[in-house]
Amino acid sequence: MSEAATAARSAAVPEGLSPEVTSEAAPQAKILLVDDEPKSLFALQELLSTLGQNLMIAQSGEEALRLALKNDFAVILLDVRMPGIDGFETARLIRSRERSRLTPIIFLTAAADEMGSMFRGYEVGAVDYLQKPVVPEILKSKVAVFVELHRKSERLKESEDKLRRLAAHLISVREEERAHIAREIHDELGQVLTGLKMEVTWLAKRLREKPLVEKTDSMCKLIDTTVQTVRKIATGLRPEMLDDMGLIAAVAWQAKEFQKRTGIRCRAKLPPEVKLDIDVSTTMFRIFQEILTNVARHSRATRVDMELGVNDERVSLEVTDNGVGIADSDLNGKKSLGLLGMHERALLFGGEVKITGTAGHGTRVSVSIPLRQRT
Amino acid sequence: MRILIADDHPIVRHGLKQMLASDPAATVVGEATNGDEALELARKVEWDMAIFDFSMPGRSGLDLLGDIKKEFPGKPVLILSMHSEDVHGSRVLRAGGAGYITKDSAPQELTTAVRKVANGGKYVSASLAEILASECSSDPQKALHEKLSDREYRVMWLLATGKQISEIAREMGLSPSTVSTYRTRILRKLSLASNAALVHYAVRHQLVG
Repeated sequence: MSEAATAARSAAVPEGLSPEVTSEAAPQAKILLVDDEPKSLFALQELLSTLGQNLMIAQSGEEALRLALKNDFAVILLDVRMPGIDGFETARLIRSRERSRLTPIIFLTAAADEMGSMFRGYEVGAVDYLQKPVVPEILKSKVAVFVELHRKSERLKESEDKLRRLAAHLISVREEERAHIAREIHDELGQVLTGLKMEVTWLAKRLREKPLVEKTDSMCKLIDTTVQTVRKIATGLRPEMLDDMGLIAAVAWQAKEFQKRTGIRCRAKLPPEVKLDIDVSTTMFRIFQEILTNVARHSRATRVDMELGVNDERVSLEVTDNGVGIADSDLNGKKSLGLLGMHERALLFGGEVKITGTAGHGTRVSVSIPLRQRT
Repeated sequence: MRILIADDHPIVRHGLKQMLASDPAATVVGEATNGDEALELARKVEWDMAIFDFSMPGRSGLDLLGDIKKEFPGKPVLILSMHSEDVHGSRVLRAGGAGYITKDSAPQELTTAVRKVANGGKYVSASLAEILASECSSDPQKALHEKLSDREYRVMWLLATGKQISEIAREMGLSPSTVSTYRTRILRKLSLASNAALVHYAVRHQLVG
């Protein structure tokens, strides 16, 4: 691989990984107030303004829906009785959208409303019920709880996202480092050894004394073994086939190597060669290696069947072994960092890894990664 | 015979020239340090054959070979590579290369290869020949070890790597007597007499490594 290609792929530190600016002033949480009565809305606004959050208002179910499509609310205060779409229907619609599926809703009802409507409210996702006229302190403290909850889950989401990006960054850095070291070892060290061997051979051809010829012979043999070792190390770090020949050739080679190294038969079903995105290829290849490592280590299998498929949209991999099968407890256990790594790698490219196993009937791993649209 | 050489490593170019110097019929008429230079050189000077490194900065490998063959279809190109034959060998030949030599075997094979190629032939080393033979054998199932069951195959491999019956039994979760039965069956299927013969068989067929 050329230097230029490496430079182009070298990863900059992804955004958001830089040391955080301390955010003492947490961003305001959004609260939606829905009531058809301007007067009630005004009263609610007045009441909640002391919380210092971002209050948004809607005077109808339709308006509330529109806002809920574009914003993530910490909590929605919803009047039950409204002309047009009533509170229950509004709540049902809000809850049916993925984005607002879990948004807490507090219903506000007139005192006259009976218990029956309360149950209806809970059915469509209300988390609480308040009777009008509301007691200011109760309303305020309830809303404050949801605001706090919202803030915490936002923070959790943020740190999860950061960890994921950090993992992605580490994966790509490690991959580049491996490629770089492999190339250095293979090209530089390998070429020098080649040159050395040529020199020794030149010398050998001019020697007449037997002991000296024997010496140069053994030198040549030493150089040959060293070249083999260099090759082995470089290929172990990053198989050159992946860059030169692509994923399919590399996977075929890996399957053959695996069989040679473990005595576990590996049958590969491969598509005709196609050129794939190098990063997706690397991801798929590393996942395949991880699967094989797991088979060799845990499965007691005597056979592995793998199939690689490529179409316009995605590249998929199915690996089945005939071993003892993975237990559910191992799938989620603390020791399954390797499996987690596979998931994370696939996720980086919007792909997924599915692992199913039944005790005594082997394990099946399916990987699917979408191919990036070429621009 | 006028020869072009291209390799990005001076030490290898030096070695090549030294080796070719022992052949009075060979003259190196140009040296290039990368693929693009090689192509340029090929257009500028008169030459009879070329010796190119497989991986060089810029255009290299099969791409370079393809370009050269397109412009100079009749002229032989010998490919040198750090990689062993099983990686690129047959592809190079299919892409029109006149031969493929790994760099570590160059001292022994280069002059023979050059002479062979200069006479219009193709140079195939012994190890590449073996790979080609296995690639074009129409029925890979014919190998005796393909007749082993998956479990027998694994026992065979474990025996070939020097494992004792008891170790194999532990590793595969079988009883030692079952493993012994497998061993007998394997030897019969492969028509072999002893463990030593089995090791030899496995090595010869590259089943271990």
